[in-house]
Amino acid sequence: METTRGAFHPTRFRDLAVTVDFHCNSACRFCIVQEGMNRYRGVPLERFRATAAENRVSRKYERVLFTGGEVTLEKSLFDFVRVARESESFAHVRVQTNGRRLADAAYARALREAGVDELFVSVHGADARTHDGITQRPGSFDELVRGLDNARALGFTLLSNTVITALNVQELAAIMELAAAHGVTSAELWGYLPMADHAEANALLAPVSEVAPALLAALDRADALGVAALVKYVPHCLLGTRAALVDNAQPDVIIVESFWDAFPKFSCLFEAVCEHSDSCLGLSHAYIDRFGWEETRLRPEPRVTPWKERDAPAEQATVDDGDPARDRHGVWGRLLAGVEDAEARLAGVQVSRTQVRYGFELGAGARLDVVLEARDPAKQALARTRSFNLFYAGLEGDPSREQVRGLLERVVAAVQRGDDGTLFLDGRKGLLPLVDERPRRAPRPPR
Amino acid sequence: MTSLFTTASESDGEVLVETTPNDRHFDYCLEPYEPRRSPRGGLRSESLLWQSFRVAGAEPRVAESVRALQHACGRDATVWGVKYDGSQLFWELYFYDPQKRDAAVTATRVGETVAPFYRIDATVRESVPYFMFSYDLRVDTAARGRVDGLNLYLAEPRGHAGRSYTVQGERMELENHYVFLPPKTDVHEVVARIRSSTFVDFDRVSLAELLRPQLFSCRRVCVARKRTCDALYFSGIDVDQWLWFLRAYEYPRDFVSFAERCRGRFEHLRFDVGIDYRSGPDGRLARPKTSFYGTV
Repeated sequence: METTRGAFHPTRFRDLAVTVDFHCNSACRFCIVQEGMNRYRGVPLERFRATAAENRVSRKYERVLFTGGEVTLEKSLFDFVRVARESESFAHVRVQTNGRRLADAAYARALREAGVDELFVSVHGADARTHDGITQRPGSFDELVRGLDNARALGFTLLSNTVITALNVQELAAIMELAAAHGVTSAELWGYLPMADHAEANALLAPVSEVAPALLAALDRADALGVAALVKYVPHCLLGTRAALVDNAQPDVIIVESFWDAFPKFSCLFEAVCEHSDSCLGLSHAYIDRFGWEETRLRPEPRVTPWKERDAPAEQATVDDGDPARDRHGVWGRLLAGVEDAEARLAGVQVSRTQVRYGFELGAGARLDVVLEARDPAKQALARTRSFNLFYAGLEGDPSREQVRGLLERVVAAVQRGDDGTLFLDGRKGLLPLVDERPRRAPRPPR
Repeated sequence: MTSLFTTASESDGEVLVETTPNDRHFDYCLEPYEPRRSPRGGLRSESLLWQSFRVAGAEPRVAESVRALQHACGRDATVWGVKYDGSQLFWELYFYDPQKRDAAVTATRVGETVAPFYRIDATVRESVPYFMFSYDLRVDTAARGRVDGLNLYLAEPRGHAGRSYTVQGERMELENHYVFLPPKTDVHEVVARIRSSTFVDFDRVSLAELLRPQLFSCRRVCVARKRTCDALYFSGIDVDQWLWFLRAYEYPRDFVSFAERCRGRFEHLRFDVGIDYRSGPDGRLARPKTSFYGTV
C-alpha cells in the first residue's frame, strides 16, 4: 500500500535522526510512537558509533537529532551526545524533547556542556489548560516554560514543534507568541497524523476548514515575531501564498522498521493533476475516511510537468540499445555503461526507493542480478563504493566461474567510477530488524 | 488435492499451489502484468480460489469442474472472481478470447467441458462478437446440476469500455455497462462518472465512501453501471491493499486469517477488487456485493 516513506526522494539527507529509547513522562494524546512506547528499543550505542565514524568519512549528515521517546529521561543520552561530538562528524547536535526536564537548570546546563546546541521542543498549547490537556500531565506546561527560559539563558538554538489537533487549532497564533516570548526562533507546525484507526485518535483530527485559517493566522504572527515557521502534513494548496512553507522532508531515521508499517498513509484526489504533488502528501487516509476527499476545498495547481506515481513499485524495464526504457532509468542505466559483453547482457533494471537491481542474462539460460543498496558498513557486501553496497543475487543456470567473476569485476569498477556522490538510495529500511522490539508484556489482570 | 498442472500441498485442508517458473500473471482483464516481487517460493493466486471453496463449504465437484476448465482452457487462462454478499461466498468464472481464435474457450465448448458436472442453461449464438463470457458458481451448483445462464461481454468501439448481457435460455438482457480509467490522471472523469448516479444519494454519501483512499493507488478503476446498483473496481492493488479490502468488507474470518497468514507468499501478485453499491432506504450506503479476482 502506498506509504509516506516513498513520498519524497530524497529525504532530508543532511539530517540523521537517531532513536535513543522509548520511554516518556508525558502521554500526548496524538503521540506518533505511542504504540512503540516502552516496546521499541533504541539504537544500540555501538551502532550509532559506527554510523558516526562512517559519517566522518562520507560527510553525509551535517546534523544528528536524538529522539525517541522523551530522550532526556535516558541516562544514555549523554553517551550518544559524547559519541557524536567525539566523532567530529556533525556540525550540530539536536535533541527533541518535551522540555520538562529542562526546567531543571542543572540538567539543561549539563546538556549544553555535553555538546548539544539545538533543542526541538514540543509546545502544544498557548496555556496550561490546553497544553496539559494534550500531554495529560498537569504541570507540564509550567515545566516547559521554565525549561525554555533556562535553555535560552544557556544559549541553545530553540525550535518548537506543535501538532495541530482539534484541541489546539484555535490557538496556533497564540502558541507562536508564547514560543517567541521564550526564545524560540524556528517553529514547525505539523498536521496531526492518527497512528491508529480508532475513534479516540480520529476525534483529534481537525477539518481543513478550521486548520487553514488558523494556520495562516499563525504563520502571519510568526512572521511578525521574527520566528521562521514551516509546516508539515498539511496540503500545500490550503496555504495559498504561504504554500512555500510546506516542507514534508524528513531526516533519515534509524528506528525499528515496524514504525513505518504503522505510519499513516496519505492520498490526494488531485495527485496526478497538481503541480505540487511531488512535495505535498495530501490528506491522511484517516482524515479522508472521516471528512472526505475535500475535493471542493483543495485547489490543485494544474500540472505542467510529467507526473510519476508516488512510491511506485519497482519498475521493470528492458534495457536494449535504443530502447526508450533505458532513458526511464537515466543515471542508473548509465552507471553500468560498458559492462556488457558478448556473454553478459543487461536485460533489465528495476529501480526502487531502496534498491537498484540489474538483471544480467549470461547465455544458455543463465542469469544473475547485481544489486545496489545504500552504503552500510554493517551489512555484508561484495564491494562498497562511496554511496553503495553492491552484491549479487538470483544466480540461475550454470555460468562459468570466470564469466561471473569477469562480469562482477566490470560492474564493481563501473560503479566505483560512476559513483560521484550524486546518486542516493534510501537506507532506512531494515536498519534495525523487528527483533529489536521488546516483547510485549502480558496485559495486567483487572484490579 | 493436486492440480493438474502445478504442485499443490495440503495442510489442514488448505490447498497451497506453489508458483512455478512457467507461471504467467494476468489481471482480471487477462492483461499481463509483471509480478511485484520474485514469485519464487510464493503461491499461485488459484490457492485463494481453492481456499474460498473450502471456507464456503463448496461441494468437491465444484472445484473439480474448475480443474477440468483449467485443463481444457490452459493454465492461468481463466479468471475467477470470489464474490461476497455479506453472508455467503460465491464465484464467477470468466473466459477470454478477444480474437475468438481458441476453440476451447467458446461458450459452447466450455459448456461441453463442464457438462459432466452441471449444465449451463444458455444458448449462445457464436456469431455474437463477444470477447468474453462468464458464469456464476454457487456452493451447490453441482448438486443442482445447472447454472442459470451466463453473461456475454462486448467491447465498446472506442475507449477501454464494454457492456454485458445476461443470457438465460434464449433470452438476452442488457446487464452492465462499464469503463476503465486510470484513477489519478483521469480523476476528473472518474469522479464525474461516479457522481453521475441514479442509485446513490450524494447528499448523504461522501465520495470517499466509494472511492476509498486505501484503494485509490491502483492501476485502473472501472466504473460500472448495473441494473440495480453501481460498482467500482480497483485493479492492480498490492497484497496489503487487498488485505485491507478483505477486512474492511468483512470477508469470512477463516478466509481473512488464511490470507493474513500467507501474506508473504502472495506478495508477488497484483489483485483486483470490486464493490457494488447503492444508497439504501435509510440513505446510507449499502454494498450488496464485493469481489476479488485471480486466475487459475
